[in-house]
Amino acid sequence: MTPGWLLLVAGLGMLIGMVSAFRAKRVWLAATITSAVAALAAAAWVLKAGATWVGRTTLAIGGEPIHLQLDGLSAFFLALLALLGGAGSLYAMAYWTDQQHPVSATSGRAWWNVLLLNMGLVLIVANGLHFLIVWELFTVSAYFLITRERHRREVRAAGWLYLAASHAGTLCLFAFFACLAAHTGNWELGSMRERMELAPLFWLALAGFGLKAGLFPLHIWLPSAHANAPSHVSAILSGVAIKMGIYGLVRFSGWLPVPDLAGWVVAGLGVLSAVLGVAFALGQHDLKRLLAYHSVENIGIILIGLGFAMMAAANGHAAWGQLALAGGLLHVWNHGLFKALLFLGAGSVLHATGTREMSRLGGLWRSMPWTAGLFTLGAVAISGLPPLNGFVSEWLVFLGLFDALSARGATAGAAIPAAVLLGVTGALALACFVKVCGVVFLGLPRSKVAEQAHECGWPMRIPMIVLGTACVAIGLAPVLFWPAIVTASAAWQPFWSETAAPAPLLTLGAFHLVVAALAALAAFALWRRARHNGIRRTGTWDCGYAAPTPRMQYTAGSFAGIITGWFRWILRPERHARIPNEPFPAHAKFEEHTPETVLEHVIEPAGSLVMRVSTAVRRLQHGRLQAYILYLLIGLAALALVALMGGGK
Amino acid sequence: MTGGLNLLIALAMGLNLVALASSRLPSVIRAAATQGMVLGLLPLLLEQEFHWMVGLVSVGTVVVKGFVIPHLLRRALRAANIDREMEPLLGFIPSLLLGAGATIGAVALGGALPLRPEHANSLLVPGAFATVVCGFLLLMGRAKAISQVCGYLILENGIFLFGLLLIRTTPLIVEAGILLDLTVAVFVIGIIVDRIQREFDTLDTRKLTSLKE
Repeated sequence: MTPGWLLLVAGLGMLIGMVSAFRAKRVWLAATITSAVAALAAAAWVLKAGATWVGRTTLAIGGEPIHLQLDGLSAFFLALLALLGGAGSLYAMAYWTDQQHPVSATSGRAWWNVLLLNMGLVLIVANGLHFLIVWELFTVSAYFLITRERHRREVRAAGWLYLAASHAGTLCLFAFFACLAAHTGNWELGSMRERMELAPLFWLALAGFGLKAGLFPLHIWLPSAHANAPSHVSAILSGVAIKMGIYGLVRFSGWLPVPDLAGWVVAGLGVLSAVLGVAFALGQHDLKRLLAYHSVENIGIILIGLGFAMMAAANGHAAWGQLALAGGLLHVWNHGLFKALLFLGAGSVLHATGTREMSRLGGLWRSMPWTAGLFTLGAVAISGLPPLNGFVSEWLVFLGLFDALSARGATAGAAIPAAVLLGVTGALALACFVKVCGVVFLGLPRSKVAEQAHECGWPMRIPMIVLGTACVAIGLAPVLFWPAIVTASAAWQPFWSETAAPAPLLTLGAFHLVVAALAALAAFALWRRARHNGIRRTGTWDCGYAAPTPRMQYTAGSFAGIITGWFRWILRPERHARIPNEPFPAHAKFEEHTPETVLEHVIEPAGSLVMRVSTAVRRLQHGRLQAYILYLLIGLAALALVALMGGGK
Repeated sequence: MTGGLNLLIALAMGLNLVALASSRLPSVIRAAATQGMVLGLLPLLLEQEFHWMVGLVSVGTVVVKGFVIPHLLRRALRAANIDREMEPLLGFIPSLLLGAGATIGAVALGGALPLRPEHANSLLVPGAFATVVCGFLLLMGRAKAISQVCGYLILENGIFLFGLLLIRTTPLIVEAGILLDLTVAVFVIGIIVDRIQREFDTLDTRKLTSLKE
């Protein structure tokens, strides 16, 4: 079957799923998963063959004939969408059941299909007008999925913020596509690198797609939306939806010429997002909110790769650009996989305990070994530790940066701080996930709900296992996935079609296999010794304190306290403390939480200023005829003055 | 001839100030009516040779502005049973001072504007400016609907003065049309005044703000 037929099957499957979502949920599941498999097959076909599938019909929507195109880059993102969409559908069956959510579960399934279908269409349409239509449908359907629990105030607030931010971004995209169509004379999209007058449009695209991607400081909508959505929705939002912003940036920086500064700006925003994203994550006590901030961090890593690739392209297609781009693109897959895995794991914890507050969890490893194990696997991957996939893509970006150093010139100067900060980001991410795993899964339960936690069922476990397996596969055999990356980067930049995998990647694969084998061996040896000698359980050393309670454990806040202290200048944590100072303290309390600084210290003051000014201006309209005549007279006098001054010329 | 023209325009400018300074509504109406009649005579002075059409418009203006409109307004006044502007938004003395300032400013502006030689020595342009501004002052400074109608009439008189600059090129039928519009407008406002009075028991237009939204 050709990709065209496969895509048709996928689209029909989504439509059938949309219709059957209300009555027959098994039909919905079957149709959705079939369609995901078909889309995955189409993407694999294109990635393997390296050919572009083009579909044109005479059928017109909005006066424009339909023009679809599945090239390497689209297929690369489509593969991620298909895998995560399928996994999320199965997970949703057990996570968001009709029994628990009688109303929102059925319509949620329908919106889920609308979201998946339109994200797929965003990837394959090659017409500006149709792109805007499916982009808007994708944005709006995500809003309805985020606000599944709209009886809760914070969910409504998060949804509203998401909608407002998304529309600000869509506005930029409207301007972008309209200017593009005005310059080219039609809505058709395609490669037009030689038309240098289109270069300034890149800034509009950066604002529009950057808002969707959630790069710092445009990420304001992201933490609350991802934290308040149902977990399978968080997974698809974080894994795929924000990647649509990345797709837009990669797509249009490949098709259109870019300004000279573009690479620098993108890389700079990437570094900023990476470091500050993880800093904000460290300050969070809400499990899903913390994961959401890690999306900002990983988007930053992807943008570092993309930014340096753009610099290399501007520098005469230096070879290190391909490494940086490959790292960025592979990180799109990797982040999609492990972030979805982590969100599904967090959903499983939320499902079992009913809380996302890390200070109320603890000791879940005993009661939820599958979830804990898979979550930890995702945590190792996202922290960029060998032998998993996170390390592979970050390593490729590092290789690009190191090779850029040898290039001399300004880019070499930029590569040094970028590499250092990327390393810092990895270290901070590791600290953050040590905190998460330690607080949530180790120690003793901090609350009743954590004590009574139960393991999730197989429908929730299987998607996590699939995603975990994909993480391990990319980690252990990165060379297998190299051709797909080459096809995608050739679609971005035809000069980079080097098909042979770079030597460091082969070495890295071998190294990962050895590390994995050694780890497995060590685990086996430990298990054998434990079985042989038996396990003796005893209390940990409690400093001589006679009656330790679970409340004496390190909390999430205290664990990360030192590191968040370094970033106090930007995190601006709010602290309410009553420190005991008498010998027999009666009351003591300590509370600290990290607000969304950009939102609360920049956007909200600006918004309230606009409100104040508009309220003041509104007082001019009071219904008194006499004053209206005065306005007229003032206006006339001003016009006369302008004319007399000669301003009318 | 310019002397006679300027004399009449100066008279109209004086009537502006009378209208601004008086608190009694009948005298405001009288000032506006007199001004209308004075201006109605101007076309006769401006035209070199007599034309029956000009004479017709002149007579029509005098009749409508001097007798028909004041009559309509006085009738509305009787129906509403008021004769004083009790609480103006802008006091009578400040209005008078502003009006005088506007008149001086208009004369100064007329000197500064690059006018055609045949208008350079006449008060036509300054008079038009001063009358328009005084009309606006009445519109802005008074609360009673009748005073506002008078302000509107005086504003229209100023526009009529501007129109005289173009008397050679404007077809007189246009003038006649404007006159008809004006009569109908005042007629309608007379009815509205009556209705406002019945509904709100006052003619204070500030009360109309309760109708907003």
